[in-house]
Amino acid sequence: MSTETKPKGQLYKRLDRIRGIIRNQFEFLRQDRLATIGVIFVAGFVFLGLFGPALAPHDPIEHDVRNDDGQILRLAEPSGEAVLGTTAFGKDVLSQFLAGAQPTLIVGLFGGIGTGAIGFLIGLVSGYYGGWVDELLMRLTDLTFSLPFMPMALLLLTFVTPNIWLMTAIIAGFLWKMPARVVRSEVLSVRERTFVKSARASGASDLRTMLYHVAPNVLPIGFLYTAYGVAWAIAAQASLAFLGFGDPTMTSWGRMLRQVFESGNMRVAWWWVIPPAIGIAAITTSVFLIGRAYEEVINPEIQTEQ
Amino acid sequence: MSQFQRFLAKRLAISIGLTLIAVSVIFVVLRLLPGSPFEALVTSGNLNQQQINEIRALYGLDQPMWRQYIDYMTSILTFQFGYSILRSQPVWDVLEPRLVNTLILLVPALVTTAILSSAIGMYAGWNRGSLLEKGSIITTTFLRSTPVFITAIFFIIMFAYNFELVPAFGMRSVTASPEGYIDTFLSLDFLHHYILPFTVAVLYYSGDFLLLARNGIVEKRGSEFLKLHKAKGLTEMQQLARAGRNSMLPILTYFALRLGMIFQGLILLEVVFGWPGIGRELVLAIQQQDYPLVQAAVFIMALAVIIANLAADVLYAYFDPTVSTGGGSSA
Repeated sequence: MSTETKPKGQLYKRLDRIRGIIRNQFEFLRQDRLATIGVIFVAGFVFLGLFGPALAPHDPIEHDVRNDDGQILRLAEPSGEAVLGTTAFGKDVLSQFLAGAQPTLIVGLFGGIGTGAIGFLIGLVSGYYGGWVDELLMRLTDLTFSLPFMPMALLLLTFVTPNIWLMTAIIAGFLWKMPARVVRSEVLSVRERTFVKSARASGASDLRTMLYHVAPNVLPIGFLYTAYGVAWAIAAQASLAFLGFGDPTMTSWGRMLRQVFESGNMRVAWWWVIPPAIGIAAITTSVFLIGRAYEEVINPEIQTEQ
Repeated sequence: MSQFQRFLAKRLAISIGLTLIAVSVIFVVLRLLPGSPFEALVTSGNLNQQQINEIRALYGLDQPMWRQYIDYMTSILTFQFGYSILRSQPVWDVLEPRLVNTLILLVPALVTTAILSSAIGMYAGWNRGSLLEKGSIITTTFLRSTPVFITAIFFIIMFAYNFELVPAFGMRSVTASPEGYIDTFLSLDFLHHYILPFTVAVLYYSGDFLLLARNGIVEKRGSEFLKLHKAKGLTEMQQLARAGRNSMLPILTYFALRLGMIFQGLILLEVVFGWPGIGRELVLAIQQQDYPLVQAAVFIMALAVIIANLAADVLYAYFDPTVSTGGGSSA
């Protein structure tokens, strides 16, 4: 690791700076009450995603909840044996809820980061170079806009066994278009500013100018859209799982809702519906609330982007 | 050619190009899928080899790939979608009533929400910091970030199961056997089934319109022309109306874009409510590997988006003289 070669003081200074940035972000978010609530929910969600499967009292799929006589409890209301009741298949709802956060977190996090990163790079290159590069990349963006996301994702997921990494890739592969457009239009205005022009005039290469002078100025928007990407990815993953195109080996919140919907037990088994439904609604809304707080700061005008 | 005409021609060419590419992508994806809907027929053992060959020939599957591609392109682009494999009906006969069902649900919903939530959004933007503004922002953030099927499930549990006010599923009751569209849609039974999905669709769409309208007004509030109107002695509402008229363009173009996404946007809404629209039909067709039906449905969805994008671009360039029409994408 490079930590050995660097003088310790410099490393500490760097760490301090990072800590300062993080502290500032939290200070900022604390001022917005809605964003604070959002942060709390997201923290709880990340915790569930990391440790949920370990916390689950039973295996979400294998284990059958039984009563004292050894009979499998099906569609049992919340009770001592199963705190959140059981499913029609005699599974523990609480365990499924806890374990189900993990795929949601993985797809959300990586799908969001993928969306943000691809979109940022394409927007940056497209806006900076302009000309035929811009034309090509923007027509590619138009193409992903015109290929309907949901149907295409469903089609692709029918011919390979869906797993969460594939879903992540498909989601990022379709959603990058949003940040790409916004970042590009932002780059177009940054490119014309004096410091970029003077950097180029003083002989900096295109790559250097783009990465050191333009990119940092559009980074906040990249981050914002990464956050939105997380919410979109979570929503997309839940929707695909609800339609039966989720990872068949993992319990996810979307899949729980599919099972309760498909089995026709939605009418009676409220305890089976509410936890995953609230889980998905809470996490997507939280991410958006945090995003909103940043949006106000970064640029009041871009709030209008879809 | 005027500048606007040149812009129009370029946009049109791009749209045609996009349509061709989108259709090709669908072709490739469908070819990549392993297995075919005929395999089920073949493995069930009801067909001999000669019959299989005949069926393959019927669908053109014995032709070389480039020939299949040409045939596919010409048929799709002329709206000859062929026969649905599992329903043994022409694809268009299957899709047409589904398209109508989707439109009848979502177009009124979109129009309603565009008018209602834009008005609320403008009012909220005018009264910055008010309770209405904060409340509407929280509500719409929830509604637009939560996947639509979750909202739908909450509504079904509340209004269909708990209060038993409306049915939870379908477009007509099971016993109804209406003839033709007028008979189908002009009945109390239909209305009864309609209210819930309509409401959820209105709420789901509301967020973006509300925020667009609010932001538009917020930006206009301090501008010079409003000061003039204020000096002229116009009332608050009259000023708001002037500011609103000046922030209509983004709302209009957004409406066009949303309209284009209408067929693909709310597949999950249709599935949850058992609404016999094109989205639900597509999911069923994919599950049953009914590829002629799938490719037709996906093509219609893509085409709608391409046309709406074109319309939005043209709308914007036509009404907003500050947008450069010269370079097309050089905005």
